[in-house]
Amino acid sequence: MKPLAGLRIADFTLHAAGPFCTHILSQLGAECIKVESASRPDIFRKPHPVYGRMGPASFDQVASNKLSVRINLKDAKGIALAKQLVDVSDLVCESFRPGVMERLGLGYAALAAMKPSVVMVSVSSSGQTGPDSHFAGYAPLFGAWGALGYLTGYEDGPPVEMRHVMDHSVGMTAAMAAVAAVYRLRRTGLGGHVDVSAREVACSLVGEALLFAAAGGEPSRIGNDHLRMAPHGVFRTRDEDRWLTIAVRSDDEWQVLAKLMNAPALLVDPRFQTASSRHGHRQALHGEIEQWTMTLDAVDAERALQDSGIAAHLSCNMQDIASDRHLRDRGTVVDVEDTDGRRRAALRAPIRFSRSEVGMTRGTPRLGEDEDYVFGDLLGISNEERQSLMDQRVIY
Amino acid sequence: MAEGAFVPPLAGVTVVELSHGVAAAYAGRLFATLGAETVLVEPPGGNPLRREPPFLPPADEASALFAFLASGKKSVTCDPKTTAGRAGLNALLANADVFVHDLRAAERAAFELDEQSLKARYPNLIDVSVLPFGAHGPKADWQAEEINLIHASGEGFLLPNGLAAELFPDRPPLKVFGHFAEYQGGVVAALGALSALMNRERTEAESVDVSVQDAALAVGAFALQRLGDGSLEHRQTRSFKYGGVLECADGYVELLTLEDRQWRGLVELMGRPGWALDPALSDSLERSRRGAEINRAIRAWAREQRTADVVARAQALGVPMAKYASPAEVLAGEHERARRLFQPLDVPGTGRLPVLVAPFHVDGAAPSLKAGPPRLGEHQHLLAAERRRQQPVLATEAS
Repeated sequence: MKPLAGLRIADFTLHAAGPFCTHILSQLGAECIKVESASRPDIFRKPHPVYGRMGPASFDQVASNKLSVRINLKDAKGIALAKQLVDVSDLVCESFRPGVMERLGLGYAALAAMKPSVVMVSVSSSGQTGPDSHFAGYAPLFGAWGALGYLTGYEDGPPVEMRHVMDHSVGMTAAMAAVAAVYRLRRTGLGGHVDVSAREVACSLVGEALLFAAAGGEPSRIGNDHLRMAPHGVFRTRDEDRWLTIAVRSDDEWQVLAKLMNAPALLVDPRFQTASSRHGHRQALHGEIEQWTMTLDAVDAERALQDSGIAAHLSCNMQDIASDRHLRDRGTVVDVEDTDGRRRAALRAPIRFSRSEVGMTRGTPRLGEDEDYVFGDLLGISNEERQSLMDQRVIY
Repeated sequence: MAEGAFVPPLAGVTVVELSHGVAAAYAGRLFATLGAETVLVEPPGGNPLRREPPFLPPADEASALFAFLASGKKSVTCDPKTTAGRAGLNALLANADVFVHDLRAAERAAFELDEQSLKARYPNLIDVSVLPFGAHGPKADWQAEEINLIHASGEGFLLPNGLAAELFPDRPPLKVFGHFAEYQGGVVAALGALSALMNRERTEAESVDVSVQDAALAVGAFALQRLGDGSLEHRQTRSFKYGGVLECADGYVELLTLEDRQWRGLVELMGRPGWALDPALSDSLERSRRGAEINRAIRAWAREQRTADVVARAQALGVPMAKYASPAEVLAGEHERARRLFQPLDVPGTGRLPVLVAPFHVDGAAPSLKAGPPRLGEHQHLLAAERRRQQPVLATEAS
């Protein structure tokens, strides 16, 4: 049994952030019915040249585990059909530009008038309100608007664009807020509207820097440095492009590290006697550390440092992650079969419950794959009526 | 729901937080933001995040990190190493719905807060563990800070990309600013706790095990999907084929045109330069192939532009473009003000400051925090009140 079993979602989301929200909720047990149409299929069904992907994704981590129906939202009868779907759902999720759902007659006010208990989650780049609410945006723009992009980067370099992790952070936050609203519904009967702003999610990830700036501080790009810890960074190892991260938190850990390095001279070096002095001379200190790590195998060094209680980890590429024993043991990385029958690594929703199950039970649905169940069983539409709606390109 | 009748989603929910790090603290902060009564249990010396930089000027005493993460919470001091401290904590837990913490297995056993003891004493309590690598698995006892976790989850290896990667191809990979991975751990812990609360309504309470590494990896799902497609992503090769970070005369902007109509808008924005009118470039695959050439031209054009002007014209033409806003610019932003992203709150040791409330609205309005960050032990009376309330029960148990 999954924790959100029994919760049904009418899913109108597109692109990455919104679909990731409903994908995670579906892995937690919600039944997610994805609404698309042949005239407007999900972007993951299409090639994506700017990303350099010339073909569609064969298995994707935002559409999998969902049911698929076709509804043409450009047709009035399609809107009526969408409302029927909302009527049998607990949660409506959408990620159109603000105003589009209202224009379609599917805005929160219209749906709440029909079904007061409806919970709606809207995901957009800047939120449903405010002077910039009409702005178009993607992950790197959310990061740019929200100061996260400005603050990320080498000290002497430009800002850095946030990629898919930004979209998916928005989706994860939306999933969390959605469950909070549904939990209120279950306890009080109150529906509601959750309006998630992607640029505000970027802001929330640098909340402490914004507060520091509000008090007159000037937060800036600091690369891999930490404001207090040194050594702290990403270090070269013996092998090309195998990097080791190390963070030393205390004097005790510094002593242990110097012993591991077999470098007693560092312990008497006046530059490295106190935490603040080490921080002040971190460039020289990091040079010393790297001379040592350059002689080591990254994984062996990671193990030796962890055995001594020092925070260290390999800088993992996705191959490392796909075969990581810890992640496999936890069930975080699992093997799934894609639509071609090939096995590949995928991610289970990142929560382990003591009793409840979590995870994917099916891959990406074909467009309209679940219409017998959704239109037939759930909405009780006869085969003749469905055929007629298909002929009229309402189910299309 | 009618406007003005706002009931915070978690009104009536009680959360006890015992945290050392950012992830568990952010989970508690999300509960407080959503309206739960969130009690931060601090050791007599205070939560360690009170001592983490940056410190708020001009006094440089109060931690900005702690102030942000603890806003809306209540504070009691209570030392679970002592019998009295454990009794106090137990009094709080007896009335709580959720216990969120980042205690290691050995500490849990020493404090009698292990999963089995909690379940036996508080059958309705949702026990949420948030650790760097989770409570189970071969790395459960491993140490990690943010820089280790952002790299353990794969995103660190993939940064920077775009302009910074081009400028500094030989530098080590770069972490995201601040506590990105740990914040993901906080969001996921809150999601796990809420899912368990939902489930408690029909079955019984269960415990939740969240790993910051898992959470940060989850939001990096796309790179693992690409691996399955046969492509091992690398920071030097995953840049956008054109666009991205552009240096203007007075700062940086981000430009990303994924759709043909956005590309056409960009051509307009640049004043229809000759090179961009090449008919071959109307094909998106051709643009992808000629990305480097396009980038040279776009970058030269961008250097002549002023950010405010070019972003306004871009958005009017439907071209996705944004300024890389500094924290000060975000704080002064009209849009942020209109959405009440920041709430003025008293920060002990500093004064009244705008604190980011939440990246979402509920029922048409920004949530509202009950207060700024608490002083150490500011709500100590809660402990006494709980113990008084529970005295008859405890007496019965003792007999």
